[in-house]
Amino acid sequence: MIDVVKLFDAGLIRALDGVTMAVGRGEFLAITGPSGCGKSTLLHLIAALDVPTSGKVIVNGYDLVYTGNDRYRRSEVGVIFQFHNLLPHLNALENIEVAMFSNGMGHKQQRERARELLAAVDLSAKETTPPPRLAGGERQRLAIARALANRPSIILADEPTGNLDSASTDRVLTLFRRIQEERHVTIVLVTHDVHVAADADRMIRMRDGRIVEDALGSPQ
Amino acid sequence: MPFLTLIVRNIFTRKVRSSLTGTAVAIAIMTVFALGVLTYSLRETAVSILRTGSADFTVGQKGVSDVLYSSLDDTEVARIGSYPEVQSVVGVLVAAVELDKDHPFFLELGIQPDKLSEFGVQVVAGTPYSPTATDEIMLGYRAARDFGKSVGDTFTIADQQFTVVGVFSTGQVFGDSAAMLPLPTLQAAERKPGNVTLAFVKVKPGTDIDALRKKIDDENPELATVRTESEFGRIDRNLKLISAANVGASILALVIGAIGVMNTTMMSVFERTREFGVLRAVGWSRLRVLALVMAEAVMIALGGAAAGLAAGYVAVRVIERVPEVVGIFQPVYPGDIFGRALGIAIGMAFIGALYPAVRAALLKPIEALRHE
Repeated sequence: MIDVVKLFDAGLIRALDGVTMAVGRGEFLAITGPSGCGKSTLLHLIAALDVPTSGKVIVNGYDLVYTGNDRYRRSEVGVIFQFHNLLPHLNALENIEVAMFSNGMGHKQQRERARELLAAVDLSAKETTPPPRLAGGERQRLAIARALANRPSIILADEPTGNLDSASTDRVLTLFRRIQEERHVTIVLVTHDVHVAADADRMIRMRDGRIVEDALGSPQ
Repeated sequence: MPFLTLIVRNIFTRKVRSSLTGTAVAIAIMTVFALGVLTYSLRETAVSILRTGSADFTVGQKGVSDVLYSSLDDTEVARIGSYPEVQSVVGVLVAAVELDKDHPFFLELGIQPDKLSEFGVQVVAGTPYSPTATDEIMLGYRAARDFGKSVGDTFTIADQQFTVVGVFSTGQVFGDSAAMLPLPTLQAAERKPGNVTLAFVKVKPGTDIDALRKKIDDENPELATVRTESEFGRIDRNLKLISAANVGASILALVIGAIGVMNTTMMSVFERTREFGVLRAVGWSRLRVLALVMAEAVMIALGGAAAGLAAGYVAVRVIERVPEVVGIFQPVYPGDIFGRALGIAIGMAFIGALYPAVRAALLKPIEALRHE
């Protein structure tokens, strides 16, 4: 990111105020800060869900200037939302499969891959269960599995442990570590919980749309 | 998961919404189908008169509202017969009479017995009537079967009793369901002395029929020649009006159905805003989102069309039994009515769902995800 500014409400809200940062391949980065500091906005720009008002966002060679970056979202990033955003009328397996449309895989391959991912997040037994009947931690693990569906190089997680108990939080963080190590995926995690942030390789603290601290996290 | 499975799953997840949309389509298709069958059947009933008589073409009075009002006098029939290319001309008086409440539209054909074979009539039982008989009648074999009459029986029309002297066949449903009387007898009963309704013309071999028709049309501006069903409107404006009304009703059904589809699809898209945001966030293209919404609408419309066709068929069967309509038309189900109904249903889905689908596709992912 190079000098990124993001304004809302016709300029009344300055969500990002000239942010410049770089993330290394395979890095586990946590972004923390108080509510309204711009951390989620920053994540949304990296995910190409929104566009900067000014400045540049370049990820893996993609210049994210417009939200029509479907191919980028499909192949480079996997997004995990705080409230999961799973489709309630599809079961666990289908929620993963729906992310794999247009990735070139046949239906059988998609199903096999979806099963692999469910196994990776310990949800094989819940294959036919729709999200409303899953526990909070299970839904978050399913969301992680969906984010991994298209073998992204970057996982973006927005408050993934915000609604979880401590046991589920630990489980999710362990999962992130495993994903980072086994699949060499870059993880950018947004959290207001400094304990969660401390688990990362590197921590960026934001305030009022700016980066105020950029430090290494607790050694692993 | 195949795309089609997702479409079906989405449709059945919102059963009430899908049912409402399908019902709107079904009602429109039922209307189109029933009106189409009614119109076609009425047309077939009217146009079938042309097929009676194995003629090369028929001549009637131009511009009348109903073919039964067409009137040609002896002079005009003779004039047509005087063309050197004409081999024979048979003047026929056509009248409709209400026999009883079950037969409100029974056809009588007035024709001279010496013209029967030229007209393509085959007497299959009994004998032809005498040319000046006032109490003799022949029944088409379908009429004889329906009324349970045979040669020697009495047949009553408008309180007048006739003796059935013969049963005939023309090879055509319209003619075989009618009765034939001597022309002067029917002319007297209808108070149309010297008049016939239509003249059925046979030409000599090798004649250019269209050239002869043009000559007759040009030299007799009050008359119109009819050879094909599509020309029947020249001597029966009612059918043109009915056809126009049918087209108008189909267009109206399409518009109303499309508005219904648009309304329910817009509501569905609004309710599913966040879902579309999630799909864009996981990499779905705008085109795929648009295709999803359109495909759901088309599939619902196809289901509605099937229901509408079934309901339309039932409606036609019910209308067929309404006392005021009994005997007036025989339902005929042309093949293209199904194609037209299907086309209108798909058209409704496309037109109605296009705007909501485009809106869904153009949603900004982050705004959609924030939607409550």
